Amino acid sequence: MSNLQTAPRQSLWTRVTNPKFIMVYATIGLFLLIYLFGAIPYGDVGFTTLRTFTTLFVDNAYYGISAIGMTMVLITGGIDLSVGAVASLTGMLIAYGTTVMGIHPLICMGFALIVGVGLGLLMGWVIHYLNVPPFITTLTGMFLARGVCSLISRESIEINHPLIDDLASWKIYFMQLKDGEWVKIKPSAYINLNVIIFFVMLLIGIYLLQRTRFGRNIYAIGGSEQSAKLMGLPVGRTKVLVYGFNGLCSVLAGITYALYVKSGWNLSLQGAELDVITCAVIGGTLLTGGVGYMIGTLFGVMLKGLIPALITFNGNLLSWWGKIATGLLLLLFICIQRIVVKTTDRRKGKKRAPVKS
Amino acid sequence: MQNDAVLTMRGIDKQFPGTKALNKVDFTLRKGEIHALMGENGAGKSTLIKVLTGVHEKDGGSIWVEGVDGEAHIHSPQDAQNIGIATVYQEITLCPNLTVAENMFIGRTQGQRVHWKEYEKRATEILDNLGIPARAKQELSSCSLAVQQMVAIARAVDMNCKVLILDEPTSSLDDKEVEMLFGLMRDLKNRGVGIIFVTHFLEQVYEVSDRITVLRNGELVGEFAIEDLPQVELVAKMMGKDLNDLADLEQVGAKHEATGEVIYEAENLSSSESRAFDFNIHKGEVNGFTGLLGSGRSESVRAIFGADRVTGGKVKVKGQEVKISKPHEAMKAGIGYLPEDRKKDGIIADLSVRENIILAMQVMKGFFHPMSRSQMEAFADEYIKALSIKTASQETPVGSLSGGNQQKVILARWLLTHPDYLILDEPTRGIDVGTKLEIQKLVLKLANEENMSITFISSEIEEMLRTCSRLIVMRDRNIVGELTGDQLTQAQVMKTIAGGEQ
Repeated sequence: MSNLQTAPRQSLWTRVTNPKFIMVYATIGLFLLIYLFGAIPYGDVGFTTLRTFTTLFVDNAYYGISAIGMTMVLITGGIDLSVGAVASLTGMLIAYGTTVMGIHPLICMGFALIVGVGLGLLMGWVIHYLNVPPFITTLTGMFLARGVCSLISRESIEINHPLIDDLASWKIYFMQLKDGEWVKIKPSAYINLNVIIFFVMLLIGIYLLQRTRFGRNIYAIGGSEQSAKLMGLPVGRTKVLVYGFNGLCSVLAGITYALYVKSGWNLSLQGAELDVITCAVIGGTLLTGGVGYMIGTLFGVMLKGLIPALITFNGNLLSWWGKIATGLLLLLFICIQRIVVKTTDRRKGKKRAPVKS
Repeated sequence: MQNDAVLTMRGIDKQFPGTKALNKVDFTLRKGEIHALMGENGAGKSTLIKVLTGVHEKDGGSIWVEGVDGEAHIHSPQDAQNIGIATVYQEITLCPNLTVAENMFIGRTQGQRVHWKEYEKRATEILDNLGIPARAKQELSSCSLAVQQMVAIARAVDMNCKVLILDEPTSSLDDKEVEMLFGLMRDLKNRGVGIIFVTHFLEQVYEVSDRITVLRNGELVGEFAIEDLPQVELVAKMMGKDLNDLADLEQVGAKHEATGEVIYEAENLSSSESRAFDFNIHKGEVNGFTGLLGSGRSESVRAIFGADRVTGGKVKVKGQEVKISKPHEAMKAGIGYLPEDRKKDGIIADLSVRENIILAMQVMKGFFHPMSRSQMEAFADEYIKALSIKTASQETPVGSLSGGNQQKVILARWLLTHPDYLILDEPTRGIDVGTKLEIQKLVLKLANEENMSITFISSEIEEMLRTCSRLIVMRDRNIVGELTGDQLTQAQVMKTIAGGEQ
């Protein structure tokens, strides 16, 4: 071909400032900023210690686990409102199963896993094959799961089982070498099973999204479902599996939450689905689909955990300020997303074609 | 079945509720040829393509594809791909958020793992081989439309396709990009790929095609070698009539000079998207904005209608100063606007033809004064007949009509409000020659017989020369000239656009 042009070389700068990453940078930047903001006044009362940092994860692991599945769902352009209810149902199944019926907690967890993943797959199937909007489908799923919770019991049930106690209290302390001996650092900092599950799921999430065909299909569906279909991608199967995977994440979130509070209550985790969506969105996942990174979600979770921590350190503020701050944060990020999308549209400009005559 | 045929379709039937979309259509594609599939909107081109690609299932007939023993059974796009039929659609059907390489390989790799390096290497090879100016790691949305189109073709070619279907691939490309695309098409042809080329641009057909198959009303008109079918005859075959119509139009085109009262006048009008400009139109006048795409034509008329945020200027309607900052106010002042992008700004695809037609009328009346059902039906009926809108019934969703007919529905919507001044922005884009003529005629008829003032915008200069008595030429968002009378020639328009002396 004679009119061969050389393709515009992508400079490092354009690659780094790719709007897809800007949101992730913004999240990381804001996290550091707020961390610094807390470190200056509260540094001397322990805000900058490793303990405070690890507590971020210990206290928010169940959000994080759920946010991993949610990120995938959002990238496909969907949404899942049932995660809080499914996690709560998981807690109820474990609590009622072990405490009231005397079944081994592992069996209860297995059963919860089947229920949660099954519901996820079913919702995915309804969304894709019956063409019901995800919002409606998962809202129904939420009512269903919440309803079953209340059907099981309307009281809070404590979980008393040695295995649960062992799992809940199992911790890895951070150690340091002092006078030739390994001792716990002071103030003691630890991670527990919940944090480990979170990070394992995070790695699985990153692997699935970035290194597998399944992950590419998720992005493709979010970019353009119609195109994905015409390119012969298994759109239906992918969507069903994504909701199934999110069901799995909800159940794991429910298990970790049960370990965290050691009880099940039919009204626990109400509104958690919105917190989870917030984590993902703050982390740079576009609600319109097609864009999102697990690493962003990780920072989204940390950022969301940081605000209550700050309020605790302040000591004078009501915890409701946490909600307000989170709300403002979400608003800020959604605005940034719109601006980023708008400016990149403008930067690319529309292809102008000359007059055909 | 001929020896060199890669694809043979015989006696294809397809029935849709209410219409026979295809009636015993034959089609043959030979190895290494570019075969244009021509026909007006609704002639059955799209249906034939969709049968071939497995989007629709045929009701009767047979398809043979080289390399497949016996008849080919195509039930899904996947089946079509597997036997070597690949399609590149008008709208880019790739994912803008993935890279070029990902778009080329997604959905056709083995195993669950993604091997980035390998795909990027292979993609680079293919892109170099075909001379496509894109980089494997580039995000697709950062490529121009032409390059995106070519990436789609590269994806198709790499799947070892024997039959490549290009459905209106050039409609959003500029001349240079079209040339690039044609270069690629010729290259593929020489490699033995059979290409089915569907387009509305007649010149383009003659530039690259070897053969033409013409369809009309779901039936085969014939298959011709390009040398045997002059352009004029092709148009006649597509329309099923002589070209007298074209001559008719020239006569109807006795455009009368604007003498009546000034119906609309703007002074220093500007909006968030357009620069300040002066403009006026007389009663019964047809004028037009011309200029390259992006020169501000559409933006200017959008400012007149208040479709963008108006930022300044004075507007007089019939000598009275009025404020128009919202479409609703423009409608109240007797202005109608048919937007450029009918899919985005115009039709409401899920509503019926009737509902779409009465929409503007209802807005004018206010929502607290509902129209009776029989009244709505009467209006809809009147305009379906008047504009000969091809639809199964009034209640058919507009989305299922062909592009030209959708355009007529929107036109009907505005005519029903009896505006004094109607703005038509690219009313003929993406529709076939016959309907284009009908719309041009209608424009002149409205101006001549009903004394309506009309602003007409089109990318085809000939079309504007035929209909407008005054052309306002824009360049880089400014009005750079106004042409009337003897100045209305293609050469003069081009010169003014290009910026030569008047």
